[in-house]
Amino acid sequence: MSPSDRPLEQQITLIELVDRVLNKGVVLSGDITLSVADVDLVYVGLRVLLASVGTLEEQAAAARGDGAG
Amino acid sequence: MIHLYAIAQGLGDVPDGAGIGGEPLRRLEVDDVAAVFSSHDAAPPEPDEQAVLAHAAAVEALLGASDALLPARFGRAFANEGALEAAVREQLDDLRPALARARGHVEFGVRVLGADDEPAPEAGSGRAYMQARLDARARAERIAGSVHEPLARFAAASTSSTGGSGRLFLSGAYLVPADAIEGFRAVVGELEAAHPELTFVCTGPWPPYSFAT
Repeated sequence: MSPSDRPLEQQITLIELVDRVLNKGVVLSGDITLSVADVDLVYVGLRVLLASVGTLEEQAAAARGDGAG
Repeated sequence: MIHLYAIAQGLGDVPDGAGIGGEPLRRLEVDDVAAVFSSHDAAPPEPDEQAVLAHAAAVEALLGASDALLPARFGRAFANEGALEAAVREQLDDLRPALARARGHVEFGVRVLGADDEPAPEAGSGRAYMQARLDARARAERIAGSVHEPLARFAAASTSSTGGSGRLFLSGAYLVPADAIEGFRAVVGELEAAHPELTFVCTGPWPPYSFAT
């Protein structure tokens, strides 16, 4: 099943989940941060995924910190 | 490399079922706290969709297997177990109160969207356009507040952002006692009924990602 075939509710749940896993959660000092480019790739995928949910797409961009809106 | 899934207290057996890339979940005890991780031969896991989902699935399983849990953020890694232990030990004084707050709680996400066909401001004059934008923003923030406040009162803790852009009025996260899930959903339902012009998207229960720090 390609991402855009997923039901809307499932798409929203997925972006809520990815937002939490990548942007929330505890961070310990002394760890090695993966490159931001890697994380961006996930969001690029999601932006395609959520092309039909424009506002939530903007939210993801804002969460990533590129200042959309 | 070490990938961290969560910090837990009162963790029973580490759940069966693998972590990212099929690697088994392992535990490291630091005083009264357990760090759950997987080891990866070469580079740390890339945060592609499959890995993110595997991380989330492991955190979800750990939530059910522990008394208190703080999910770890994806995108960090440790060189070895020694580095992980040192990092956990260094932050024990911060981790313990966060674990105490998370104990027995789950997280809900609530997003509130305005109508799809909201009329765009008339582009008569620049000033009128800006005034219309300001009015719309003030209205969105008023609506967001009227939805967020009752939810925040019900919750043990909350975070929210309001007045973003476009249709999204409110994006909130709420820490709710695990035995009050139905009560929280009822509050959401009441707000939904009181605001038929808005679209509510309530997700959860989640592990307390937004309340881990």
